[in-house]
Amino acid sequence: MIESIILWLFAISAAPFFSAMILKVKAFFGGRKGPPLLINYYTLIKLFKKGSVYSTSTTIMFKLGPIISLGSAITVLMFLPIAGQQAIFSFNGDIIFILYTMGLSRFFTIAAAMDTASPFEGMGAAREAYFPIICEAATFMIFILFYRLTGELQLSAYFSGDNTIALWNLAGAPLLFIIFSFFIILLTENSRVPADDPATHLELTMIHEVMVLDHSGPDLGLIELGSFCKLFFYSTIISRLILPFDLGFPGLAFVLYLLGLALVYIAVGVIESIIARYRMDAVPQFVLTSFALAFFATIITLEFIR
Amino acid sequence: MIHSVDTILALVLLSILFSYGYSQLFRLIIVVGFQGIVVSIVPFFIGHDMTAGGIVFTIATLLIRGIIIPMSIYIAMKKRAIQSKVAPIIGYQASILCGLGVIVAATYISRQLNIPSISNYTLLFPTAIALPVTGMFLLMTRRNAIAMVLGYIIMENGIYLIGTTISVRALHIVEFGILLDVLAGVMIMATILQTIERTFDDVDTENLRTLKE
Repeated sequence: MIESIILWLFAISAAPFFSAMILKVKAFFGGRKGPPLLINYYTLIKLFKKGSVYSTSTTIMFKLGPIISLGSAITVLMFLPIAGQQAIFSFNGDIIFILYTMGLSRFFTIAAAMDTASPFEGMGAAREAYFPIICEAATFMIFILFYRLTGELQLSAYFSGDNTIALWNLAGAPLLFIIFSFFIILLTENSRVPADDPATHLELTMIHEVMVLDHSGPDLGLIELGSFCKLFFYSTIISRLILPFDLGFPGLAFVLYLLGLALVYIAVGVIESIIARYRMDAVPQFVLTSFALAFFATIITLEFIR
Repeated sequence: MIHSVDTILALVLLSILFSYGYSQLFRLIIVVGFQGIVVSIVPFFIGHDMTAGGIVFTIATLLIRGIIIPMSIYIAMKKRAIQSKVAPIIGYQASILCGLGVIVAATYISRQLNIPSISNYTLLFPTAIALPVTGMFLLMTRRNAIAMVLGYIIMENGIYLIGTTISVRALHIVEFGILLDVLAGVMIMATILQTIERTFDDVDTENLRTLKE
């Protein structure tokens, strides 16, 4: 239990560090030196020192948005078995709870964006509401497959201890599709290239960034930390899926886990460097690919395991 | 335990799924080539005895289906500078959903049929059903004539797979007959294509509606 809480605190505090790795990889591809790996901590400290500016047209909704989006991100991390250890909380059906906790944070982000009455933010909110719908279908498809394989509806049953290796033994080939599918979900949900560009400066092409344009100071810091934690959540799952080994010592498993995490973040960085973002109307097709992959994996698996 | 043939067939099913969503012709050609190679190899694994004749036949089929036909279409496309989009009537996203439906239906039907001689190969019959339906779908919903030809070849690949799986020990001469059929079909289509292209400077079949006596 104590280990789980320590890992949870580690996850929150390490999330900004790993996100900076993406920037480093992108700088490497651009032939630059790039910002230091601790850049996100400096940004967070800078933001928390500042004061906030609130528009007179906003209500309490606008102030709730950042708090709830960070709150739900760290709540979700409590249910996640990090490095194969048990999660802090776990109950039957916690997957659905997790998915809708994230949905709650999205709802409040969208509501806060609409609250500013800025037309740009409404546009971003509409896109933010549209793309994750397909993601949600894909995520559910993946969990249906996992449910079929294990008969359990909780994250610990898939990602803690030897369970992940058991999944690989049951259905190795479909799991490859699942990893691809989940990676596409990661890119879309965390508004990375090619679904969205986190570094863009043009409001018309923004999806996620445009919704937080009016937030400032500590509020923006909370949102940033929340998005780091969210990316960390998805990356942890993929890291566990690609390196599911437990080699006896808990320390070694942790090193493997960090290695997997670094791989996922580097892959995100490489993709951001070599692929341009898709045209807005091509994004749904990209996300639909992840749904198709997950669905396909499920059909294949059902065919083999009767 | 998953059979090695099933692993390749899983990739073929995946390529079927992607062929619904591709907008570029050359990707579709790659898919067709890949399917042609797999379709010609699979019968060799399941039941054909490895005689010299069998090996020669497999290599010949592989060359024609997997390399010669796709390559000639690609060269024709490059030479005439034909538009490289498939010009769908049904959009790509709806097409992908249709593809998922086709694969589900194919697995369901193959489970109902339950043919004993190939029951060891779980994905063989679903692939064999999904291929012709996919070809048919591409024929119906793409306006670009080359995409239609590719749809026809995909359909033919499926028919070949069905034929070889149901009659596991068909004579090579019969299979060779099917192969000649395809080759002749593709040649005729190429001639027609050339005529369409010469008349309209495009291979969009919508143009044919304007023809009058």
